[in-house]
Amino acid sequence: MAVRRIDVREKVMAKNDEFAVQVRDRLHAHGVPSLNLGSSPGSGKTSLLERTLDALGDNLRIAVVTGDVQTQNDADRLAAHTDRLVQAVVTGGACHMDARQIFTALDEIDLEDTDLMFVENVGNLVCPASWDLGEDAKVVIFSVTEGEDKPLKYPRMFERSDYCVINKTDLLPYLPFDIDRAVAYAREVNPDLRFFFTSALTGDGLEDWYEFLTVFARVERAIRA
Amino acid sequence: MHELSLALDVCRIAEENVGSDALARVTAVGLDVGDRAGIEIDNFEFCLEALLGSAPFGNARPEIRRLEGDELSVTYVEVEDDGGS
Repeated sequence: MAVRRIDVREKVMAKNDEFAVQVRDRLHAHGVPSLNLGSSPGSGKTSLLERTLDALGDNLRIAVVTGDVQTQNDADRLAAHTDRLVQAVVTGGACHMDARQIFTALDEIDLEDTDLMFVENVGNLVCPASWDLGEDAKVVIFSVTEGEDKPLKYPRMFERSDYCVINKTDLLPYLPFDIDRAVAYAREVNPDLRFFFTSALTGDGLEDWYEFLTVFARVERAIRA
Repeated sequence: MHELSLALDVCRIAEENVGSDALARVTAVGLDVGDRAGIEIDNFEFCLEALLGSAPFGNARPEIRRLEGDELSVTYVEVEDDGGS
């Protein structure tokens, strides 16, 4: 039997990217800047967000969408730090969030009443790097209990991020972690990364992060206005 | 880790291009995969072989061309003619 070849030329991520464009358009239409937080599990994403909601919640109307493979524990934790609805996305086994989930989550968020949106991605340094969720920027959180060479081992996440939060700095006295080396490795894969050095436990270094978020929200809103 | 969901997306693209009735007659799916596409090729190929080798597909094979860059796309689908008009 004859075999017929059908030319296709379709990007495998095209469907996700279509949703990402729609998410971005919708957020921008309402002047809402967004950040997608990625990291390995246990780096302190949720703790950082808890602190952030406590510190900035009175001045910035912050929306959060959290993703986890199972449970909505993170959403429950965050809900204690904001009056606003925290959206939980349970990926049901998938190792990443996709743009369609964010697109659906937006239906429940009052975008006119929002100054900044966080997406807390599934804890995983590999797959979430490949999915554009329609965010303005990715933030990679990297804790000092991990190896300094994480950026070299998982370069894509560090390449795709604009910001890097080095967290759990309160533990530095007890660990052999060399922070300068970690920064150098991260710069090796992405020379443009901007760093924050924080302890979400003690609050050390968070002022820089808060200041950045406040400016980021204001500037992004001004651009879209 | 996300290779399976990408492989499922490849199946969806194949179905959109040949129609669900013809899936059992697909013999090959051509793909371009860049070395910076964030894909573990062996794992991706394994997922594709598993999916393309079982229903609703018959016995299709992935034909992966490795490139430089971050390309990740389906380039062609080969279908056996059903002998009809």
